[in-house]
Amino acid sequence: MEWIQNKLRKSFFIMSIIALFIIISLFMSLNMGVIRIAPMDVLKTIAGYGTEKQELVLFDFRLPRLIIALLIGAGLGVAGAILQGVAQNELADPGILGINAGAGFAVVLFIFFFQGSTASLGMLSIFVMPFFAFIGAFVAAFFIYILAWKKGVTPTRLILVGIGINAAFAAALIIFQLKMNPNDFMQAAIWLSGSIWGTNWKFVLATLPWVILLIPLTLYKARYLNVLNLGDSLATGLGADVERERRILLLIAVGLSGSCVAVGGGIAFLGLVAPHIARMLVGPKHQFLIPASALVGAFILIIADMIGRNLLAPSEIPVGIVVSVLGAPYFIYLLMRTN
Amino acid sequence: MVALSTEKLGIAYGEVDIVKGLDLNIPEGKITTIIGPNGCGKSTILKTMARILKPKTGVVYLDGKAIHTESTKEIAKKMAILPQTPEAPSGLTVFELVSYGRFPHQRGFGRLTKEDYQIVQWALKETGMIDFHDRPIEALSGGQRQRVWIAMALAQQTDLLLLDEPTTYLDLAHQLEVLKLLERLNQEQKCTIVMVIHDLNHAARFAHHMVALNSGTIIKEGSPTEVMTQEVLKKVFQIDAEIIEDPRTGKPVCMTYDLIETKETLQTAKAM
Amino acid sequence: MITRELNIRSSSTQNDEDIKVTTRPFVASFILIGGVFLLLLGIGASISVGAVDIHLKTVWEAVFHFNPELTNHQIIQELRMPRAIAAALIGAFLAVSGAIMQGMTRNPLASPSIMGVTEGSAFMIAIAFAFFPGTTYLGLLIWSFVGAGIGASLVYTIGSFSKGGLSPVKLALAGTAVSALLSAISSAIAIHYHVAQDISFWYAGGVAGAKWVSVQLIIPVAVIGLLLAFIMARSFTVLSLGEEVAKGLGQRTIIVKAVGTIIVLLLTGAAVSVAGSVGFIGLVIPHITRFLVGLDYRLIIPCSAILGGLLLVLADIGARMVNPPFETPVGAITAMIGVPFFLYLARSERRGL
Repeated sequence: MEWIQNKLRKSFFIMSIIALFIIISLFMSLNMGVIRIAPMDVLKTIAGYGTEKQELVLFDFRLPRLIIALLIGAGLGVAGAILQGVAQNELADPGILGINAGAGFAVVLFIFFFQGSTASLGMLSIFVMPFFAFIGAFVAAFFIYILAWKKGVTPTRLILVGIGINAAFAAALIIFQLKMNPNDFMQAAIWLSGSIWGTNWKFVLATLPWVILLIPLTLYKARYLNVLNLGDSLATGLGADVERERRILLLIAVGLSGSCVAVGGGIAFLGLVAPHIARMLVGPKHQFLIPASALVGAFILIIADMIGRNLLAPSEIPVGIVVSVLGAPYFIYLLMRTN
Repeated sequence: MVALSTEKLGIAYGEVDIVKGLDLNIPEGKITTIIGPNGCGKSTILKTMARILKPKTGVVYLDGKAIHTESTKEIAKKMAILPQTPEAPSGLTVFELVSYGRFPHQRGFGRLTKEDYQIVQWALKETGMIDFHDRPIEALSGGQRQRVWIAMALAQQTDLLLLDEPTTYLDLAHQLEVLKLLERLNQEQKCTIVMVIHDLNHAARFAHHMVALNSGTIIKEGSPTEVMTQEVLKKVFQIDAEIIEDPRTGKPVCMTYDLIETKETLQTAKAM
Repeated sequence: MITRELNIRSSSTQNDEDIKVTTRPFVASFILIGGVFLLLLGIGASISVGAVDIHLKTVWEAVFHFNPELTNHQIIQELRMPRAIAAALIGAFLAVSGAIMQGMTRNPLASPSIMGVTEGSAFMIAIAFAFFPGTTYLGLLIWSFVGAGIGASLVYTIGSFSKGGLSPVKLALAGTAVSALLSAISSAIAIHYHVAQDISFWYAGGVAGAKWVSVQLIIPVAVIGLLLAFIMARSFTVLSLGEEVAKGLGQRTIIVKAVGTIIVLLLTGAAVSVAGSVGFIGLVIPHITRFLVGLDYRLIIPCSAILGGLLLVLADIGARMVNPPFETPVGAITAMIGVPFFLYLARSERRGL
């Protein structure tokens, strides 16, 4: 039965290559910036032999930031893969479905109501804001599910209701944004575009458990996603409780995207593009697709962050914008090709 | 022995009743074909028997037990269904799709066990698709694709197989290919097969038991010779059919037919 | 209600069948007459209500016996009147655009707001603010117009050239993609050149900033666009029955679709240039109109225009009353009405019209 092992081998090979790319780009990213640190020095610093300056830049700024990029990229990639499976539509993603908009609205609310007092909240606000975003994501998902429910949730209804909820939150966002003072407005605008502003180890701690827990959980559910992908009739025929599994998988996706968006802001299209590229590389079987989406997502985000930080240095382009500018044309190309 | 049966089954789409008070018995170990005009409810009944649709009234019994009392996973170990025009995501290989058939038997992370691999291999051999295991499904011909779906159903290792119009979009040769495969499976594995078929002659040729439906009610059920009669076809399809015996198989064949002259058909003819 | 059946005769002699389309001309005339009356009332109310409430009598005088010495008259002439008239016109534009789009694409969810029009306009405005600060108001209007056209053409082209053609989900997704792309680039420019809030104020502002020059700009558009729409109405009715049916009846669908697209671009472009992001009028009004007057576009287009104008005038009054003396973006008010309706449509899953 050697021939059965071929696909497995091929997929592992591809994923190892991507992992290698990630490691390379990690080093590149750690190197680049206002202060350049050569790769050898990076290794030395990690081992504890670097200068104080290098240690500061590396450990306090770049490393946590890149680890967050890794986590968020992986999390959003997997969230996107789940949503595409559940919505039975290769063009679904947390941004389009309004989950990001819900998170954004919650954050804007937070900034609006605590404007000026963020200084007094200090450290606390750094955690409260992601917390709000997380809640916002869940509230949005809740509304989408309830409104799409009519003796069950069909994939088409899910998408259309998602688009509607997206519009609703966007409108609400505008109202509050215009009432803000310019500083808060800028802060909100930057957050909404998606930026890895949490250059703090504490943020790593905030996102890490979610991603570490939920991605393996998704792998556990991979065979359910496989079967759902065949359509409701076949999925039921094969013995899956379609409504229940959809609910569970949606919850996982919202948990992943909520925690990632909470820290990284509304990074659109990552959850869309990563699974697609992954699918082209390893195929639609979710036991391969999920890890591949995680890897591709992480890679894209690290590259986008690198570009965002260095292209117009010292000014920073929010990473979400870079991903959008790269992702949207690709999405459009996909749209024109699929049916 | 009865593998699958319905008792006073009633199915509705919203407010409209499609089926009322249906009592249907599917004989075990035999091939049953269901025929009827478009919209008579054949697909709907098949799907309801497979618990994909919920009945409005009545019960479906599988091996003597009411299906709504059993978990959907347990049912999947006993009954497999192949719906009309099934779709597989692009890029999926033959082996991968057939392996999905092991779903109801899997636990935990769902890694394929040695036994799973053997069963999938067996299913692929039975359907003659073993050499195609690595191919993406969309690269196959219609007949080959259909065989892969049947392989997936086989991998489920059930005694009962339901198929909704398995030959409708295939050309003549492929249609026969699929039906002969099913015939062989029934003979060798003794599995019960229920098919909704459009082509009357195929339905008669490959069935042990035929059910003719119209508007959700059984007009006639029995052996092909009993059901494929001028009388029955008139009631079911409103056609005047000429039935002869197939020189090769001995089964009844509808050689030719005409529309029955009713008031409506005469008016339509005039208008044309 | 008196319902008639409109017979559409085919141009080919072989096909004797008449295709029947429900139409209610009695209701339509009622809407047209009553609507115009209500609209004038609405405009009047719009002029009198605001940060400074002005008596209707004063409004009357300001219009017909203008006295440049009185501040009230100034307010009315310079601010209120253009604003109210612009609201009526823009509401009409958006409603008619939506009606045409829904008829052409046979898609109940089509509307100008998902066509990337706003984002296209915002994109050009971002460029204008960032690279050409100090552009006149008129200049900004023109930039905005061009941008709107770009956005909509992109979305439409993508939808039309994709495999399988335009479906409800595809159109919405294409719109989202183009919007996101243009929006991302605009944000990048806005943040980098520090013009972010200026832009937001511009295009969420609604008709609040409308001046006479805006009205002057859009009146020729009104004449051309709406007139074209009235002329093409019968063709739209036929096209709305389906591409194949229309071709079978002898219609040159490509020409009709091309003209329809031009009309939509003109009207929507003008609307967005002046009023910015006003969503959902183009989505909601055509449905209401169809519900009331039936499926004949010779009635749908004028009635949509009237109802659309009415809705926006009222929404604009609402936008002023919600949080006085501050302006709430009128797009938010229309979204409040529109989103529930959109969700209702999404749930009913009707594919056609």
